[in-house]
Formats: sequence, structure tokens, C-alpha cells
Amino acid sequence: MPELLTTTQLSRRFGGTAVVLPIDLSLEQGDILGLLGPNGAGKSTILRMLSGDLAPSGGTINICGEDLLERPIQAKQFIGYLPERPPLHRDQTVDEFLWDCAHLHGLNRNQAQEARTQTKRRCGLEQTGRRLIGRLSKGYQQRLGLAQAIIHNPRVIILDEPTDGLDPAQIRQVRELIQELAQYRGVILSSHILPEIEASCNRVTILQQGKPVYNGEITPPDQTCYRVALDQEQALQEITALSAVAAAEQLHTDSYRITLKTGCQPSDLAQQIVAMGWGLVELKAERINLEQLFIQATTGGSS
Amino acid sequence: MIPYLAWMEWRRLMRTPLAWGILGIGMCLLSWQFLATLEIFNGMQPSSRSLGLSHHLGLQLYGLASVLILITTPILTIRSFSEAFRNGSYTLLSSAPLSNLTILSGKFFGILIFQLLFTLIPFLLCLSLTIGTQLDYGLLLAATLGLYLLSGGFTAIGLYFSTLNENPGIAAAGSYGLLLLISLLDQNTDGGSFMHWLAWPSHFLDLQLGLVRISDLAYFLLLMIFFLGLALYRLDKRRSG
Repeated sequence: MPELLTTTQLSRRFGGTAVVLPIDLSLEQGDILGLLGPNGAGKSTILRMLSGDLAPSGGTINICGEDLLERPIQAKQFIGYLPERPPLHRDQTVDEFLWDCAHLHGLNRNQAQEARTQTKRRCGLEQTGRRLIGRLSKGYQQRLGLAQAIIHNPRVIILDEPTDGLDPAQIRQVRELIQELAQYRGVILSSHILPEIEASCNRVTILQQGKPVYNGEITPPDQTCYRVALDQEQALQEITALSAVAAAEQLHTDSYRITLKTGCQPSDLAQQIVAMGWGLVELKAERINLEQLFIQATTGGSS
Repeated sequence: MIPYLAWMEWRRLMRTPLAWGILGIGMCLLSWQFLATLEIFNGMQPSSRSLGLSHHLGLQLYGLASVLILITTPILTIRSFSEAFRNGSYTLLSSAPLSNLTILSGKFFGILIFQLLFTLIPFLLCLSLTIGTQLDYGLLLAATLGLYLLSGGFTAIGLYFSTLNENPGIAAAGSYGLLLLISLLDQNTDGGSFMHWLAWPSHFLDLQLGLVRISDLAYFLLLMIFFLGLALYRLDKRRSG
């Protein structure tokens, strides 16, 4: 897979304060990379640097073979960027605004017309074309922000808190859109919401005070960790006693996190639970436990 | 890309009540001044008229127009950068494949389209007199050119202050301060001194009287280039700032 975006030792200082410590990132086609971290961890600063909005203090950024710092105009053609605050012109209508966005990225009239129609459909903005942006609800403004980031069909899409201000149905639509976009592109998004990153991304970089404390896949290749819910609470010892179980941890009264012994399949676990006469309500493969990782990483534990 | 940006900036400006307000109020005030000038000129004894009507119009009407441009330009230019920085919409331009020079030129020429409309108001008022009298068109065109160059210089100054600060109020105050300063520099200074040369009223006065001198044109062009250069420097610094 070709690398769409790479950074080497990218760092940023504001005055004397280091906001982003040297970080190496890479993005391939099909990747959805999540930047996760508490507020003030440097997520937005990294994304601003990747978009060309902010010059780094050190390091390099390469986008589709072009150096963003040496040849910014060429490199920026490949980028679509949604900042924390969607960059909207409140006094324009949605159609006018998207028309301008398309032209700013060098599309001609015909291309702009087609791109606008397609983007409005993708972002669910078909009905809002003639409305003033200032009168749109926050959710629609956020979707319009997303629309301006993808209208020119960029290869690298940078999204700062893309689902901020959306209702649950819209969040799902945006997640699906991101998945769809990522098939032929690379997406980097930031969030401080764990389930958001878990649901959307295949890779995650966790940041703590500007420092990357974890960098890797969300779904580990050797899946051994499962979440099990039973209809009644059972003693932890009894669960641990099952032959497929290596370790168990009680999460709530009737749900457990179970690590399987090597060689055991989840079906073995299900059979054993049923054989014990317990009502199995849920058996779900757990992706890498981001929450634990996040808390461990951001409270000073090692990654 | 610069023409598209300029057109975009102008179109957005014309969407605001501000632009129409400036044009409307400007038209009222200039019409008033125009009628007052005519009345005074008519009331003069022909023997005491040392200057023609066109001269009177050049001095009175274009004089007021220059003051109005001084007042309105900073209000127009704070929108371009200061407000865009503040409400985040500037990112749309800074993350697009455009150089800072392209962005700045687009915004500058966008405002100049508007200034052209404003500059044409006194000229059109004077043209209405063609039915009844002979006008010195050369003088009026020179005064119009002077007014337009002046608005270009003021716009460049306004844009520079607009790039300086995210607070539109401070940006406007800065522009007014400098514009008033270069309006007053020729008071109490030597006719040939550099300080005197820096003030715009004497350069504009030549054009108001129909004198098109290369040195005056150069003054206004240098004013634009200097402050646009500073604005460009600010925009470059802002990315690394």
C-alpha cells in the first residue's frame, strides 16, 4: 500500500512550551487513524500542522510524495481538512459556499457542479442548498464542514472532532461516510471520546501532553479477549474454573471480561457456559481495550 | 485564482448590510455636498470666481469623498482577516492550495471592486451637470483616479492592521490611528521634508486640482506595495507564530 502521509519527528512549540513532542505518524490507503487524548494533549495542533495551517517547529510532513513545508501548494491539493470549528461563511447559502470551496481547490465549473451535488448527497445536505449557513443548526453546520473537507476528493482527509455536535443518528451516518471514504483514501481523525475512536478507526495514537504514549492497531491479530454477559450474576471463581478461561474480570454485576486460553475458540467458551446452565446473553469479541489503555497511558502508566 | 478570490470576497461583502449602508450613506452625504457646492458657486459674483466649477467640485466633493473613504475603509478591511481569524473561517483559505500572496491579493482586489463603486459616486454626480454646463472632464477624471488610488492605499493599510490582530476592534483602531497620522503629517512640517511627503493630503490635492504627477502616483503605489508587503509578512509569520 502506498503511504499517503508520513511525518518524521514532527514537533511544535508555542513560545517556550512544547505542545507536541516529536512524533512519527504514517497513513496508508484504507487507514482510519484516530488521535486520542484528553483535552490539551496536542491533537488539534498536530492536525493543524498536517493541514498546513500551522508550521511545525521541527520535523517533516510528506503528503502523497510532496513535502508540505517545501511545496505547500502542491501538497495541499491532496488534503481535505475539517478544523475544530468548521470554517464556514455564515452569510452565504450552502450552495454558494460549496461552490466557492470547490473553486478554491481548483475545480472548474463542470467539476464543481458535479462535486457539489455528490458531496451534498453524501453529507445529507440535499435539502439545505438554498439556506443561509448562519441559520443552520449545529449538526448541519458540522456536516457542511465535513462537506467542504471532501468536496475536492482529497486523498488525505483530516478531521478534528468530526462528530462533535451531532445526534446519535447523525453520528452513525458520519461514521459510515468515513468508512466509505477511507476505502480509497486515508483518514485521520481526532477525538477525546473513546467509543468514537473504537467505532471508526483501525489504528490509534494516544497522546498525553503532546507525547505519543501508544501507537498501534485497535484490533489485535490474536484475539483472545471477550466480553460476556450472563442473565444472572455468577461467582468469578466459577467462571475462572471453566477450562477455556485463562482469566476473568467482573465488569458489572452480570458482565465479565474473559481472556481465553491459547488454542481455545469463543465457541468453546459458549458451549461451556451453556453446559453450566447459565443464560448466555452476550458474547462479544473485545477490541483492544482502549479505555484501559487510555487511562493507563494518560495517568502515567507505561504503554 | 486571484480574480476568483476577489470576486468571492466582493460577492460576500455585498451580502452584508454594511456594504449597502456605506454606499447609501455615502451617496446621501456626497449628494448634499454636491448641491451645497453648486449653491455656493451659483451665489458667487462671476467676477469673484477665481476657480471654475470643476475645481470647486474637485476640492469640495472629492475632499469629502476622501474623508468618507478614510472612515469606511477600516470597517471594510477588518472583515478580511481579523474577523476571519476570529471566527475560524480563515482556515478555509489557509488549508486550500493557495499561497499567502494569492489570498492577500484576492482580498485586496475584492475590496477594490467595492471601492470602485464608491469612487464612482462623486464622478456620476458631476456627470449629471453635463446637461447644463461645460465641465473639465480631465480634472474630474484626475480627481476620480486620485480618490481610487487613495482608497487603494487605505485598503492596504487596513488589511495590514487586519492581519495583525484577531480582535476586529483593535485592528480598526490601529488603522484609524495610522490613517489619521498620515493625514496630519503635513501640518507644521517643512514643505520639502520627508515627513511632509509621507502625508497623503498634498498628493491627493494635486489630483483634486487635475494635476496628474508621476511622483503622486508613485506615492500611492508605494503606499499600497509597502503595506501589502507588511501584511504578507504577517501572514507568513502567522503560520509559524
